[in-house]
Amino acid sequence: MKLLSYIFIILFGTACSSEKDSEYIPIENTKLEFTVPANFPEPSYNITLNPPTEKGFELGKKLFYDGRLASDGVISCGFCHIQDFAFTHHTHIVSHGVGGALGTRNAQPLHNMAFMKEFTWDGAAIHLDLQPIIPITAEVEMNETFTGIIKKLEEKPEYVKLFAEAFDDQKINSDNILKAISQFMIMMISANTKYDKIERNEGSVFTENEAAGFELFKAKCASCHKGTLFTDQSYRNNGLAIDPQYNDVGRNRVTGLSEDSYKFKVPSLRNIELTFPYMHDGRLKTLDDVLDHYGNGMVDSETLDPIFKNQNGTLGIPMTESDKQLIIAFLKTLTDDDFLNDNRFSEF
Amino acid sequence: MKKITIITLTFLMVISCKSDDDDQTTEPTFGSVKIDFNNVIDNKTIALNNLSYTNDSNETYTIAELKYIVSNIVLIKANGEEFKYPTEQSYFLINEEVETSKSVSLSEIASGEYSKIKFGVGVDQSKYPFESGMANFIPTAEENAMVWNWSAGYIFFKFEGGYTTNAGPSTDFLIHVGSHGTALDNYKEITLDLPSTLTIAEGAEPILLINADITKVFDSTNTHSLAVKNSIQVDPEFAPKIAENVMTMFNAISITK
Repeated sequence: MKLLSYIFIILFGTACSSEKDSEYIPIENTKLEFTVPANFPEPSYNITLNPPTEKGFELGKKLFYDGRLASDGVISCGFCHIQDFAFTHHTHIVSHGVGGALGTRNAQPLHNMAFMKEFTWDGAAIHLDLQPIIPITAEVEMNETFTGIIKKLEEKPEYVKLFAEAFDDQKINSDNILKAISQFMIMMISANTKYDKIERNEGSVFTENEAAGFELFKAKCASCHKGTLFTDQSYRNNGLAIDPQYNDVGRNRVTGLSEDSYKFKVPSLRNIELTFPYMHDGRLKTLDDVLDHYGNGMVDSETLDPIFKNQNGTLGIPMTESDKQLIIAFLKTLTDDDFLNDNRFSEF
Repeated sequence: MKKITIITLTFLMVISCKSDDDDQTTEPTFGSVKIDFNNVIDNKTIALNNLSYTNDSNETYTIAELKYIVSNIVLIKANGEEFKYPTEQSYFLINEEVETSKSVSLSEIASGEYSKIKFGVGVDQSKYPFESGMANFIPTAEENAMVWNWSAGYIFFKFEGGYTTNAGPSTDFLIHVGSHGTALDNYKEITLDLPSTLTIAEGAEPILLINADITKVFDSTNTHSLAVKNSIQVDPEFAPKIAENVMTMFNAISITK
């Protein structure tokens, strides 16, 4: 494939060689190869409309880790999305913003974003390019405006240069800022877990406990945490008691529909071992707490997902203590050390 | 993926070699037009705060704020031929409070005789990101508080003020219409017949006057009483009704050469 790509690049490069092109100044901005893992579905993000390039990715990464995107010059995207913890805000229940402000939701991990259809806990962002607008402009997060960011970036020669190298129109504008951040994010693919290596027949094998846990997982969890992304990308009420402090109505905030009250996006479970605390408001500290919740911690409400209502009138997923431990053993096979340590995504 | 790469590369190869030699015999010419949006009630430009108006539900209201996004402007000839204004330059914020915002200048329009105009109110998110430039409207929208910061969406239409029923105390009303994620798209387009032929030609800048009859926000296809709902924000029941009403408020009134 690589060879083929090179051939095409050469063909492409030479196809137009005529005297007319003598004014053409080549910009050295190599296209990055976006490879879909063999066990993954096709991406939702249309790569051809914003193909990641070396310079675009570099710019996106610089923006991601730059506090200039916030009003205080400190809180970058990377402040709440830390690579070591699959780009979550490690141990923080809710995200922290400028001036010590607290958000109302737990920062979600960033990985395999190119494969997601909608973003944030309630699906407020319908496209990856639009997602960063939310944290950047939210008062309790980065509290900045695009006008402000553009002005700050224009003052830095290294940004002027990078934007010029990364984009044909060479401009520092909202469109290019968001496209660059997307280029960085779509390259963040996490697909090298033990689970993946088994799914792709690359020689790994589950331990006995992991294998038993996988069987339990398929029977009890996989209807929502579906497929190789471990989410069906739907919004559901999983029976969390309403937190009076936030009274977060979830998906209802986006659609205004009463049937969407208290529904949140089914999260991917990849790297779940590291993305604690759990749930949209980070109320559960450990995986044991999570499975206890699903086992017997649910609270009924009008929008509780029917999947949790058992015929005998009980709520939740029937599980023994040993079932829970086996499922956790399986979930730990979803940790991707290669991704967590991948220098391409690191701040330094 | 491989296939896509190959197809893309092949496509690029083909288009990149298109010759520039087949110039057209006649050079196309371009002209300009200015579109003035006039927000009216009873054919008079509305007055913010100082005047009160009455709707069909017998509610007397004053207007504190009126803003809307006009986008995707297309001029149409009698034979149906369309001139689509470049998408990324085609987003305008009409703010009643700012005189200059109500006058939209379009340039580099293909010369010709146009009989209709089409435009949208709001931002057509279904096209995102296929037609780029939409995000470049963010700074303008932000400065005018026409973005729902928590939902990454534009507010298409914003109408605020106070109202009274039966001379009672004044209550605030607030109407914010936009799209609700992928669940509900409130972006709509309208086509208006022009009152006479709009001639676009080099060196001329005719003025097209479009009136927006603000009473239609409450009383048109749907009737909206503020007593029933005085705060409409991400409202799946009332926002689409207001959006429908808003599309009926525009009329092309005159063309001045």
